[in-house]
Amino acid sequence: MLQYTFRRTIAVLPTILCLIVICFFLMRLAPGGPFTSERPLPPAIMANVLERYGLDQPLYVQLFTYLKNIFFNFDFGPSFAQRDRDVNDIIAAGFPVTLTYGFWSAVFVLVLGIPLGVIAALRQNSFWDYVMTGFAIFSQIFPNFVLAPLMVLTFTLALGLLPGGGWNGGQWEYVVMPAVALGTSYLANVARITRSSLLEVLGSPYIRTARAKGLPERTIMIRHALKPTLLPVISYMSPVFVYMITGSVFIDVFFSTGGIGQSFIDAAYTRDYSVILGLAILYSVLTFVLNLAVDLAYAAIDPKVRSGLK
Amino acid sequence: MSLLSVRDLTVKFSNRGQSVTALNGISFDIARGERVGVVGESGAGKSITGFAMMNLLSRPGYIDGGQVLFEGKDVLKMSAREQRSLRGNRMAMIFQDPMVTLNPVLTIGQQMVETLRAHRKLSHEEARQIATVKLKEVYIPSPEARLDQYPHELSGGMRQRIVIAMALLLDPQLIIADEPTTALDVTIQADIMELLLEMCRSNMVGLMLITHDLGVVSQVTERTLVMYAGRIIEAGKTRSIINDPQHPYTQGLINALPQQTPPGSRLKQIPGSMPSLNAMPSGCPFHPRCPLANDLCRTTMPKVVQYADVEVACHEVQRLQSDLTSEAAQ
Repeated sequence: MLQYTFRRTIAVLPTILCLIVICFFLMRLAPGGPFTSERPLPPAIMANVLERYGLDQPLYVQLFTYLKNIFFNFDFGPSFAQRDRDVNDIIAAGFPVTLTYGFWSAVFVLVLGIPLGVIAALRQNSFWDYVMTGFAIFSQIFPNFVLAPLMVLTFTLALGLLPGGGWNGGQWEYVVMPAVALGTSYLANVARITRSSLLEVLGSPYIRTARAKGLPERTIMIRHALKPTLLPVISYMSPVFVYMITGSVFIDVFFSTGGIGQSFIDAAYTRDYSVILGLAILYSVLTFVLNLAVDLAYAAIDPKVRSGLK
Repeated sequence: MSLLSVRDLTVKFSNRGQSVTALNGISFDIARGERVGVVGESGAGKSITGFAMMNLLSRPGYIDGGQVLFEGKDVLKMSAREQRSLRGNRMAMIFQDPMVTLNPVLTIGQQMVETLRAHRKLSHEEARQIATVKLKEVYIPSPEARLDQYPHELSGGMRQRIVIAMALLLDPQLIIADEPTTALDVTIQADIMELLLEMCRSNMVGLMLITHDLGVVSQVTERTLVMYAGRIIEAGKTRSIINDPQHPYTQGLINALPQQTPPGSRLKQIPGSMPSLNAMPSGCPFHPRCPLANDLCRTTMPKVVQYADVEVACHEVQRLQSDLTSEAAQ
């Protein structure tokens, strides 16, 4: 398993390198630059500014310098748009915010979604099953950009229970709505997948065998049914985790959390090359780490996968 | 007293308020150490009989009446706890496909140990030891190592041996084997059947063998029940049923065996197919396919009569029998 983790980690380095190169050139293909504005700068000043940020160099030299700084100094360069801040600062300020509500959102999804699905499956076609199905449909027609304003209307404006935005150092009142708004549609999907997966597992021959062996129902559920039931849930959660922890641009903007989603949008508008590139690298590293984590979780549950890893 | 008596067992399936009868009041007995074969086409109700005996039918199937007496006590009237202490312990079940009947995420050892510990107060180590002994009994090489393997690491034949060892773990009085060899290679089938026979003989275990392989039935069992459309239509000593079947359906089954036909000619199959549960014909359910069917067969279900060496439910046989008795009277 350790060896597998190591191999995967080595394999990802060239991938990230390719990604940096592609992003780098794609950005430059877009018209405009960080210092173009409605009122053009005098050519002399422009030349000075470009020189200061190294933008007067040929592209391949710029790329090379950029890579060199990352690999040797872990420095992702200065922001072009925000004076006195560099990319490391921006990530250090925004990422903990996104990570916090993303994490709670994932907890919310799993801790509620799996039991909901289990209950719906065990009480198939009962009141709770219909409640769950109704909830799943509800969350599909209310994606987060509809749900978030509705939540603010209800909990902030009407009831005055929760703040409508801001972060305040991650106090819980400020985390609740971003986490719930981000997670609800995934929660419904997780519940739905758990339900159908459990129903399938319960109808499987090995559960019949367990019953015929005279095992207590609780043992059958926990020992025999739970693990196989979770496999499809884990598959589904793999990309969702990444999405949640990297946060949603919409949630960041709507709740003014100050997360990196907001920085991404700002950077795209101002052609802040180094910030865009830095965030893209962050996203890809996170994607890799979380995918690996999910694959390892899969291996921990399914012995077939585990023997495939060797 | 027989080990097991099934009396008027009726099983229905409900579907949107409507129910269809899958098992139509069947009765039979299995004596201690007796090996009974249950044969018939797919859909005749063989497997359902097996499940109903363990009270393990899952929705939408349900038992609509009758008794399953195990050592004189009605299984269907026992508490859930009592039923559980019977399952796997006094009555064990072996299922068709060993590829899917073992839990893929638990080791062989875990699955055997949990069975033992569900029924007896044993430490983990003691249970493992018993499991090792049982695996050795079914000729599994290096049983210790097998305990820590997962089902997918073993071959089909090996897995079915393990399933048999698992069924024998607690020395049950009765094993219900539901087509234990159909999913296996032909070469392994014979091995497994022989093993099952040997285990039942040496441990005095009763066996109910559900199969559609008449060859296997004649090798392994002492008595045979022939099922058709949720009824037992013929029952008796296996030898009598194979050599001198009375019911036209059983005759058809035996004639359809490839050995009964010279090589190169067409197999003698029974025309038509088993009626579906929601379109059961009136009278004898076999009459649409029966070469001897008459008007009586189309309207009334025949009663079970003793004829030659077997019990059989057929109007034609009944007629022959009454002819004989009237001849005898003259």
